[in-house]
Amino acid sequence: MTAALIFSFEEFSLHDGPGMRATVFLKGCPLRCAWCHNPEGQRFENEIIKSQAGCENCGACLKAGGGRLDEKSVRVCPNRLLRMSGESYTPERLLERLRRLLPILNDAGGGVTFSGGEPLAHPDFLYECLAQLEGRTHRAVQTSGYCEEEPFRHVLNQTDFFLYDLKLLDPALHKRYTGADNTPILRNFRILCDSGKPFITRIPLIPGVTDTEQNLTDVARFLCHNGVKTAELLPYNRLAGSKYASVGRRYAPGFDETVIPQARTDIFRSFGVEPKVLWGDHVD
Amino acid sequence: MSEEARGQSVLFRDALRFRVMLENETPKIFPFDRFGFRRSREDFAYYTDENGNRSNQWSAGNLTPDYKKALKLGMEGLRAEILEKAQTDDGTHDAFYAAALDTLDAALSYADKYRGFARNHAPEELYRALGRVPRQGPETFYEACVFLQFLIFTLRCNRNTHIGLGRFDQYMLPFWLADLERGVSEETLFETLEEFFISLNFDTDIYQGVQQGDNGQSLMLGGYDLSGNDQFNALSAAVMRASLELRLIDPKINLRVSRKTPADRYLLATRMTKQGLGFPQYSNDDVVIPGLIRLGYAPEDAADYTVAACWEFTIPGKGAEIVNIDKLAFPNVVRRELFAHLEECDTFEALMEYMKLGVAYEAGEIVGRNRERRYPASPYLSIFIEGCVATGRDVSDYGAKYNNFGAHGVGIANAADSLAAVREVIYETGDCTKKELLDALEKNFEGYGALRNRLLGCPKMGSNDDRADGIAGILLKTYAEAMNGKPNAAGGIFRAGTGSAHEYYYSARNLGATPDGRKSGEMYGSGFSPSLTGKPAGPLSCIRSFTKYDMTRLVNGGPLSMELHDSVFRDEEGIEKVAQLVMAFIRLGGHQLQLNSVNRDVLLDAREHPEAHRDLIVRVWGWSGYFVELDKQYQEHIIRRTEFQI
Repeated sequence: MTAALIFSFEEFSLHDGPGMRATVFLKGCPLRCAWCHNPEGQRFENEIIKSQAGCENCGACLKAGGGRLDEKSVRVCPNRLLRMSGESYTPERLLERLRRLLPILNDAGGGVTFSGGEPLAHPDFLYECLAQLEGRTHRAVQTSGYCEEEPFRHVLNQTDFFLYDLKLLDPALHKRYTGADNTPILRNFRILCDSGKPFITRIPLIPGVTDTEQNLTDVARFLCHNGVKTAELLPYNRLAGSKYASVGRRYAPGFDETVIPQARTDIFRSFGVEPKVLWGDHVD
Repeated sequence: MSEEARGQSVLFRDALRFRVMLENETPKIFPFDRFGFRRSREDFAYYTDENGNRSNQWSAGNLTPDYKKALKLGMEGLRAEILEKAQTDDGTHDAFYAAALDTLDAALSYADKYRGFARNHAPEELYRALGRVPRQGPETFYEACVFLQFLIFTLRCNRNTHIGLGRFDQYMLPFWLADLERGVSEETLFETLEEFFISLNFDTDIYQGVQQGDNGQSLMLGGYDLSGNDQFNALSAAVMRASLELRLIDPKINLRVSRKTPADRYLLATRMTKQGLGFPQYSNDDVVIPGLIRLGYAPEDAADYTVAACWEFTIPGKGAEIVNIDKLAFPNVVRRELFAHLEECDTFEALMEYMKLGVAYEAGEIVGRNRERRYPASPYLSIFIEGCVATGRDVSDYGAKYNNFGAHGVGIANAADSLAAVREVIYETGDCTKKELLDALEKNFEGYGALRNRLLGCPKMGSNDDRADGIAGILLKTYAEAMNGKPNAAGGIFRAGTGSAHEYYYSARNLGATPDGRKSGEMYGSGFSPSLTGKPAGPLSCIRSFTKYDMTRLVNGGPLSMELHDSVFRDEEGIEKVAQLVMAFIRLGGHQLQLNSVNRDVLLDAREHPEAHRDLIVRVWGWSGYFVELDKQYQEHIIRRTEFQI
């Protein structure tokens, strides 16, 4: 039976598709974007999350884990500050959890969004969940688009709405800042456009990385060539690094995060794409 | 005691005290004040006895006068009614009628004195208005505001605390419309409305309340009559707009809604929530009206309900209810019964039987010890409560049409969570023995860290988990059955509610640790809300958890409170979705809801006391997190950012 680790379950997400939505975050991502704000979504293996605030330094966790944090530590913290970042779900179990919320979500014109991590990194699990939700609610997938063509087409058939990220058009820069090749991303984007399925394109504005004139021009041209008329721009937020310490890692973005990103809406407009800048500090 | 007061009835003495109080006042007005009637002496204890000495004694409160009638008849009209009743009375109620007349005349002489002062010291329009009000009923919206301010001032001088403003948009509408008819511009009227609201924030330090701001100046908007007609009107909309613009704590806005309420009204209300002041508070006509009818209220009165001061449902001008007469603290019952009976119970069902008995016993105690309670004598207030003048009986003498008593229901989530944990670790998994659990509770979890961890991980109310919610349902039903409809000595009944007020602190501070993982002395959740330790799975699960019960049986009131970070309200999309959340709550049959856009002070407190803010949601950018899970520097960042937004 397929199963996946889910690292977060948000019942009231505001920016993950139309209406009131529940968003399921699948753990594990083939990309390592330098600006990633969800480090706990990156690894496919489970890991321990520690809330720093409220710790009384009683030492029970380290004692239980023999000097390091492990699953035993999670069970002994008297304030329950440790948790496993992911919880294993079968589609059936996830559906059971969603089932109780669907009436409220549907009444409010919403639905369910699968996000990550990269949900397409779990194609079988994702497909099964989406297929079971068919006709029962509005289904959305938030993705980087990084996966093989066949599973993408497969999932596309069972999805009502996409939130699709485009980061860098230059293959070398994409590889450098995300660790992955952008060929499959651009290919799948074309497939999405051809399918006629509704979607939103999102472009993270990372200072000095994705917000350059060159990249924004490339992105806008690419959208234009594919007949895309709108895009959402997400200014980089300096809180992106806030979750790294809780998974025992250091945030080293490799760009100057104190620079305010530029949105350059003029470039998008010159290609006939209407941009919407989402909340965050930016200059035009 | 003064010579005059010696040997006299409480009614006489109360009337005398009111007169002395007013005689000690010197007319005063603030610059730019259009309404007048302010207290004059900073050093004056606002509540004086009949000798003019300082007194902290309070009088009747937490109820709403019949503004509609007072505005219609004016004080002269009310006086004529008292005289008429006194003349047809057989003489047995002379003391009340004399005291009522005495207080009314004392209030009128002060109005006359104030008018004399106003001739030279107040704006011309106020002087002119005082030529009509309060003796006669007002003709204009402005005069009606002056009349209201006169009532507010005099009732305060009468030591009446927590006097609500009732259904302001209903009883003030005729004056608003008449002015429009006369050609007064809406803009002018709106300005008067705003200035009146601003003036409600003067002198607030003299209100008697638990905390600053706890003054009962609540008003109710909208509502549905028995035929289902929407009573939300042009003035209701203006009040919401004014509150939105002013961002002041008074008046506190309540909104009556139902399944039929259109979406745009929720959007407007959500913009109000965004201000971070914690209102409007919603109440659900689909639940409250049938609930009140079930308790014996006449249907037309039930449909006219308002909140007394905070959340307690009452009938304006008709109810002299003592709405917060006592409290049933569920966790205290649960802990007591656990220590008495856990060891002997072989099944969880057997334990629950003791819990039900415990709750019913406590409810019975509340009924028993409060049956004969009454308000202090308050003839001046009684003039404005239906039934008192007609029967010649003061509110203290149960003269009002409704004399019901209501009680809080405190800490339901802590109680349900505790029992859910006991069921799981004792009766299901056997993770700990009864002896161990009781020992851990007695030792406040000292040396039982792993057990506390286990308990904190058990089902919690607020996560749409029937294992906790089901227990809450049993406790609430037992409470409602043991309390609702039980007679009091006033000819009224008792009614169960879900409010806590400050009891989430007072009832909790001396209670030892509980099996939900709560440590000794830790506070309960506020009102009808999740516990502070039980992190809800999310807002949807939370509203589901708190709407599973027959809330028509709990209409003494008490809201579900939820905190949403103010960044949730940042854009139109967020506002729409919060509005949908409220609509979902109403559709699901919740009785009362209060949302908070969390402000900087809460965040600062969350940084110092994370254990008390586990469910505080922070929208950071493309993601949401629990504030307490963020590192210190990022907490600091968010605190600073919020500060910039103020």
